[in-house]
Amino acid sequence: MSFFDYLGENSERITFLLIQHVQVVLVAVGIATVVAVTIAVGTERTPRLRAASLSVTGTILTIPSFALFGLMIPIFGLGVAPTILALTVYAIFPILRNTVTGLDGVDASVVDAARGMGMGPWRRLGRIRLPLAWPVILNGVRVATIMVVAIAAIGAAVQGPGLGQLIFRGLSRTGGANALNEALSGVVGVVAVALILDAIFILIARLTTPRGLHV
Amino acid sequence: MSEPTTPRDSTTEPMIRLVEVTKRYDGADVDAVAPLMMEIGRGEFVVLVGPSGCGKTTTLRMINRLVEPSGGEIWIDGRNVTHVDPDDLRRGIGYVIQQVGLIPHMSIEQNVGLVPQMLGWDKPTVTARVEELLELVGLDPAAYRSRYPRQLSGGQQQRVGVARALAADPPVMLMDEPFGAIDPITRDRLQDEFLALQQRIRKTIVFVTHDIDEALRLGDRIAIFADGSRLAQFATPLEILTTPADDFVRSFIGEGAAIRRLSLLRIGDIEPARFRPAGDAGVRAKPDETVAVVLERMLNGSANRVEVQGLGQLSVQDMLLATGPEAGEAPQ
Repeated sequence: MSFFDYLGENSERITFLLIQHVQVVLVAVGIATVVAVTIAVGTERTPRLRAASLSVTGTILTIPSFALFGLMIPIFGLGVAPTILALTVYAIFPILRNTVTGLDGVDASVVDAARGMGMGPWRRLGRIRLPLAWPVILNGVRVATIMVVAIAAIGAAVQGPGLGQLIFRGLSRTGGANALNEALSGVVGVVAVALILDAIFILIARLTTPRGLHV
Repeated sequence: MSEPTTPRDSTTEPMIRLVEVTKRYDGADVDAVAPLMMEIGRGEFVVLVGPSGCGKTTTLRMINRLVEPSGGEIWIDGRNVTHVDPDDLRRGIGYVIQQVGLIPHMSIEQNVGLVPQMLGWDKPTVTARVEELLELVGLDPAAYRSRYPRQLSGGQQQRVGVARALAADPPVMLMDEPFGAIDPITRDRLQDEFLALQQRIRKTIVFVTHDIDEALRLGDRIAIFADGSRLAQFATPLEILTTPADDFVRSFIGEGAAIRRLSLLRIGDIEPARFRPAGDAGVRAKPDETVAVVLERMLNGSANRVEVQGLGQLSVQDMLLATGPEAGEAPQ
C-alpha cells in the first residue's frame, strides 16, 4: 500500500489526531502566554527575580522532553494533563524572553511623556507599553508554538493525545504492515500543523499590530 | 510649617513657588539640586539655563514630581503639592520634552485628547478641543487628526507635543528643551510662533535649555545655573546682559561680547524681519542711532518698545537678540 493510499484509508483517524494535536498545543501555549506575561510584568521592579525566572525557564528547555514526560508520570499519571503541563513549561521561556525584550524596547521618552501627562503605571502598561511590545511578544508566542508542536509528538510516550500516537505505534511495530506509513503520516502531520500554525501567526501579527506602528 | 494650606489671594500669590527644594539621589554624596528658592509669577515665562549636569532638568522635573524632591516644598497656585497624588497633579500641568514622546500607535487626535479623556471629558468636547488646539499650533485638523506620529516631521511632531500639553488648558507648562532636536530654521520659526502663542494664552511656563540665545530670546526672566546646581542669577534678559551677577554668568553669556555690540550696531542694521508693525510705543528713534543709545533712552523712559522711523517697532528683547554674536550673518 502506498503512503497516499494509507492516508486515504485512515483519513478519519489522522484528522482526529491532528485536531487533538493542535488543541493540546494551543491550550499549552495559551496558559504559557498568561504565565509568561504575568511573570514579565510582575518582576519589573525586581530585576534579580526577573533574571532568576529567565534562567530557570531557560534551563528547563535543556531537559530532554522524553525525560520530562517520563518524570511526570509518577506525579500526574498518564494522558492529557502531564502532556499539557510539560508543553506549558517548555513554552514559557520564549514568550517570557520576548515579553521582557518587548517591554524594555519601548521608547523611554514615550513612557516619560505619558508619566508626565498623569498616566498611572497600569494605564501606561495597558495603553502604551503592552501594545507597543505586542509585535515582539507575539513573535515569542509564535516561536513557542512551533517548538511545542514538535515536542507534543513526544507526549504520546505518556499516552498523551495527538499525532505522536501514530509515530510511536508505527515505530513500535517496525516491519509490520504499514508500520512505516503510519509513523510517516504522524511526522508529516506534525510538519503540516507547524506550517499551518506559523502561517496563522503571521496573519495574526498583520491583523493585530497597531496601525500607527507600520506606517 | 508657617505657610497657609489654603489658597491665598490669587493675584499676589506666585503660580509656582519652590521652597528650599532639594534633590539628592540615593548613594550620591552631593546634591543634584542644592536647596533652591524660586518664585514664578502668573503668566511668566521663565527659562532655566546652564551647562549639563547643573540640575536644571531635575529642577523642572521636580515641579510635576517626575523626580520626587528629597526635601523642601513645591507650591502651585497657592497649594502645597509636595504630597498630593502625582498623577492628578500632572494632569493639571502641561509637559513637553525634547524627544516629544508622542504615542506611536495612537493617532494625532488620540494623542492630543489623552489628558482630557483621562479627566473624563465627553467625546464631542474632546474632539472639539483637539480641533481647536491643532489650529492653534498651525496644523490643519482635517489633514492631521487621523495621521500617526511617524507620518509627521520632527517640527510637526513638536507642534502636536505642544498641543497635547495644552489640551486640558493647564495654567502651568513645563518644557524640557522642546526645540533642541529640531533643525535651526524650523527651530527659529517654532520659537517665534511659540512666543506669539504665549502672547495669547499667557501660561506660566518653565522652560529648560542649554542655549543662552534661546533663553534670551524667549524668557521674561532667566535663571542661570552654575555647576553644583548653584543658581548664579535669576533676572530679566536685559539685567543679565547688562549686569551679570558673576564671572560664571559673564562667561556663560559670552564675555560681554553682546553688550559691546550694542554700541556698535545701528538700529537700521537690524534685520528687517525683527521689526513688528508700527503701533503705540513710548520711545521714538532714527535708523542711524546705535542700539545702545536707543536702549538707554528706553531704560530712562521705562519703555519696552521703540518706534523706529520708517521701519516699525522693536522690543528691548528684539534689539538685544539682534546684536548677538550671530546676528547680521545670513538672516533666514
